[in-house]
Amino acid sequence: MDTEVAAFRGVGKSYGRVRAVDGLDLVLRPGETVALLGPNGAGKSTSLDLLLGLREPDQGSVSLFGGSPREAIAAGRVGAMLQSGGLMADVKVRELVRLACDVHPRGRSVTGVLTDAGITELAERRVDKLSGGQEQRVRFALAIAGNSDLIVLDEPTTGMDVSVRQAFWASMRAQADAGRTVLFATHYLEEADSIADRVLVLHRGRLIADGSSAEIKARAGARRVAFELHDGDLSGAAGPFEDSVLRTLPGVQSLDVTARVPGVRTVRIRTADADASVAGLYRAGLYPRGLEVTGLGLEQAFLTITGEQDNQDAVKETVR
Amino acid sequence: MTTLIRLEILRTLRNRRYLLFTIAYPALMYFFFIHAYDSTKLAGGLPVKTYFMVSMATFGAVGAVLTGSAQRISLERKSGWVRQLRLTALPGRAYTFGKIAASAVTTLPAILVVFAVGASQGVSLGAAQWIGLVAALWLGSFVFAALGVALGYAAAPDSVQTIVMIAYMLMSLFGGTWFPVSGSLEKFAQFNPVYLYNKLATFTQPGHSLDTVAVAGLAGFLAVFVAAAAVLYRRDTRQA
Repeated sequence: MDTEVAAFRGVGKSYGRVRAVDGLDLVLRPGETVALLGPNGAGKSTSLDLLLGLREPDQGSVSLFGGSPREAIAAGRVGAMLQSGGLMADVKVRELVRLACDVHPRGRSVTGVLTDAGITELAERRVDKLSGGQEQRVRFALAIAGNSDLIVLDEPTTGMDVSVRQAFWASMRAQADAGRTVLFATHYLEEADSIADRVLVLHRGRLIADGSSAEIKARAGARRVAFELHDGDLSGAAGPFEDSVLRTLPGVQSLDVTARVPGVRTVRIRTADADASVAGLYRAGLYPRGLEVTGLGLEQAFLTITGEQDNQDAVKETVR
Repeated sequence: MTTLIRLEILRTLRNRRYLLFTIAYPALMYFFFIHAYDSTKLAGGLPVKTYFMVSMATFGAVGAVLTGSAQRISLERKSGWVRQLRLTALPGRAYTFGKIAASAVTTLPAILVVFAVGASQGVSLGAAQWIGLVAALWLGSFVFAALGVALGYAAAPDSVQTIVMIAYMLMSLFGGTWFPVSGSLEKFAQFNPVYLYNKLATFTQPGHSLDTVAVAGLAGFLAVFVAAAAVLYRRDTRQA
């Protein structure tokens, strides 16, 4: 039995002096739907290139289904859609999809692939006459042209509008439901949150978080407290209101105060301890209106985690 | 692999620029040349009408393979289609074979159309000579297909068109395409594949057999271009 779909072991890759991937260790297991997150330049595309054998690692090894990436691809176990994957010009969509089905060792029917990718109505169109979002769906069709065990998608929904993106997610889920392992890189956190059962966060070529979307959010730890302060409510408080009062509340990590309407301030606080912060608010004699305490979205969690990493790196730099 | 090759051929034949540039244009030029030159004389050891029929056929054939393979390969490397193909079970060389096969198929119409026009204008050759000439020019076109592949892997799309046009025009100009080369120019022309390519036609003259020096020269160029294409292809693969 295969228990390992893909494995990175101590993988490093540099371009000149830029370290694109730095000591990556990672194992993908069958049936997982995995999102690869990271800001631009985090090494997402390079990692996928290494996984697919388009580039060779400088250090370490990459294996797919226990063999080399090339062997896995030749055996038809992998279907992939690249961000930079061009399409053949001067041919019709159906002809291109047929090519992909024909060359795949476990090729599927052209009609089935067109349906699953939602491009049946584009079948007779010329490939070079498609919009960006339509092109993405044709690329997706090429990735699912056979019964592959692993589907790799690099930024699959770039260039799609919101409604098309929702439909596309359904196609991605269908691939996962069919028992395939799906690995996709994205910078839409909502996409990771709603589809992936495992989220990897890559930052400066290193894997800095690996877990479910809920775990990533919990790891970031912080919560958000939002409320309004009305000047009229402050009469009982000692002296005029100062932002510094808010800043010294327990647990506060960051503070944002806006005053769009005269006499009303909107306050947003990110805190490591929401309970203590709110208790502190009342102790300071403030009267918060419309108080909301929420967990961070994946997006804020992501920013927190990458931000922490940056701080640690900065500290190391100073120590050196 | 056959699907890929079939599709490569189909899309080339669908391309209107190809039809215009490699088929219609040389045929029109042919009319111009046979009227501009005294057609009772010999040119490069051949009757004028035969000489330009051959030179326009080679002009079209070289144009077809150079623009077809060089520009497309260069563009498709840039667009990422080459990368996408590397994610299929197709062996890496399938793409290059597809390009060369498509080139080989598309040179035939370029040769045949000019020959048909030549025949209609009074070029008369024996059946064996017609067939031999088509075969010689068709086989010769592989030399340029290899050059096209090499150029396609050597240059980026924005520069490849210029490089191809300069190489194509210089080789044609000094290779006897528009006028027979003679005197000191002929000495340099020995190192010009288009000149050697045009020389393949001299066997149609009474008392001449196939120009083995030209054949050997073309074989040499083929070896060099194939080697260059192979080196550049490997470099491209490493760069992904």
